[in-house]
Amino acid sequence: MVRARPLILLLPVLAALGVFATAFAMFVVVSFSTAVPGTVLTAGPATLANYSSVLHSPLAQDAAWDTLRLAGLMTLLTTLLGYPLAYVLARSPSRGLRRAVLFGLVVTFLSGGVTRAYAWLIILGNRGLINQALMALGLPTFRLAYNETGVVIGVVHFLLPFFVLTLLAALKNIPLSLEEAARNLGASRWNVFLHVVLPLSVPGLVSAASLSFAGALSAFLFPELLGGGRVHMASNVIYETILTDFNLPRVAAMAGLFLVLALTALGLLGFVLRRAAGLWGAAMQ
Amino acid sequence: MTSLRSYSSLVAAVASLVMAFIVLPVAFIALYAFNDAGYLQLPPHGLTLKWFVNFFANARFRASLYSSLIISATVAPACLLIAVPAALAQVRYRFPGQGFMNALIMSPLVVPGVVTGISFLTLSARIGTGLGLLPIMVALTCFAFPFAVRALTANLHGLDPRLEEAARNLGATRLGAFLWVTLPQLRPGLLAGGIFVFVEAIDNFSIAVFLTNSRTTTLPVESYSYIRDFDDPTVAAMAVLLMCLSAVLVFAIDRLVGLDRFLDLK
Repeated sequence: MVRARPLILLLPVLAALGVFATAFAMFVVVSFSTAVPGTVLTAGPATLANYSSVLHSPLAQDAAWDTLRLAGLMTLLTTLLGYPLAYVLARSPSRGLRRAVLFGLVVTFLSGGVTRAYAWLIILGNRGLINQALMALGLPTFRLAYNETGVVIGVVHFLLPFFVLTLLAALKNIPLSLEEAARNLGASRWNVFLHVVLPLSVPGLVSAASLSFAGALSAFLFPELLGGGRVHMASNVIYETILTDFNLPRVAAMAGLFLVLALTALGLLGFVLRRAAGLWGAAMQ
Repeated sequence: MTSLRSYSSLVAAVASLVMAFIVLPVAFIALYAFNDAGYLQLPPHGLTLKWFVNFFANARFRASLYSSLIISATVAPACLLIAVPAALAQVRYRFPGQGFMNALIMSPLVVPGVVTGISFLTLSARIGTGLGLLPIMVALTCFAFPFAVRALTANLHGLDPRLEEAARNLGATRLGAFLWVTLPQLRPGLLAGGIFVFVEAIDNFSIAVFLTNSRTTTLPVESYSYIRDFDDPTVAAMAVLLMCLSAVLVFAIDRLVGLDRFLDLK
């Protein structure tokens, strides 16, 4: 009786996962088939042709490399900007300040991707706020949007609330008394950070950074709007391919390879971060 | 005492700048939405509501707003119906393969949105349902339910199972004890999970863009195509409306469950 119960409780979630798995199975099957030109139909014996044509396409190779490079850069910037904010938020003695900052973060967080991508478009655009200010001052203007700079700024802005809120949860669990003890024994703030706070925050830091990296890898709307067709991250290349010619098998093969790339990169980042933290902990002793 | 503060003024200054970086763009978009001219001027020359009028006068925006609200209002309760029993099974029972089950439940979150979008596009093409509201609802439910499971699991972990046992000892049925004792205590998790799923569904672009057609679009997809074709602040007006909605939600969360509690359940 008690044994049978969890299965019944799990039935709805298993049904949802089943639909998800069916959709995935379909797209994997389609990726091994051949498109019938001009229709959504696919036909023919199983073939690896889609995969080999994607793997040999210079556009796809560049997109894979650009995606990894840009996502790495975005994650690094998010970490460098987000850590101080999360730390101040976790340790601020002012309850009012903490609440005000949390309100700002959560409202921004919930206001959505389109809102924020559009905000950066009107700030960084060629006739945007920054360039108008520069013009008014008689200074030369810059191309800030429709290139990688704009995309990186936009995505970092998108990821920061996720990162800060995730790291904050971990930092709050580090007892303040540990830091106070170290300070009372004469350690400087910087040493307390390096030897006490940073090592204890590693698990939270790894999950916050992984979350940001996953978000950066799958960035789609920001490169689409702020990249002006010049920034080719994996999601955009897949979308543009399906818009230009509706070759579902080829696009399915692209999506499959992208999924493998993203999961491998995520696993690798987690492994490297944990490994580095282990070495760092050993060196500090 | 200030010398014992955990961070220096320099760190506090950096944190303030980062906070300004996060919040200011959202403030600029509000200025832009009420701005008379078609481009952002500081200080604004004249204030106007014409971009809001423009938004609601546009039949495509009205239709996409309606679709998005219908989709989110369906997906959020659907995800909760999936998540409540799943969270109960994960927290209140021990069974073989539970860790694997947990990884499986969370797996939709690690798949890039575009890949999920392509999968459900293939599924609709294969089984011949076509595109539109129903495929979008199904796809977004399959993608977003882990957020609800996460909120409810965190909520359940904080409850005392002895309350339910006491109700059982006093003669309540299993279902009765759940409905009258446990479910009321799950209100914070239901609210946090429901709001999170609702926002994810109303804001989703990367999955929905593959499943919309010329008749049915969603608000983010319609906004995206408007931004591509027109250069005026109508989308800024829509963004202000979304920001107002999220501000109202945050105030409601704070009154009903407390902001800190919400973030723990997120």
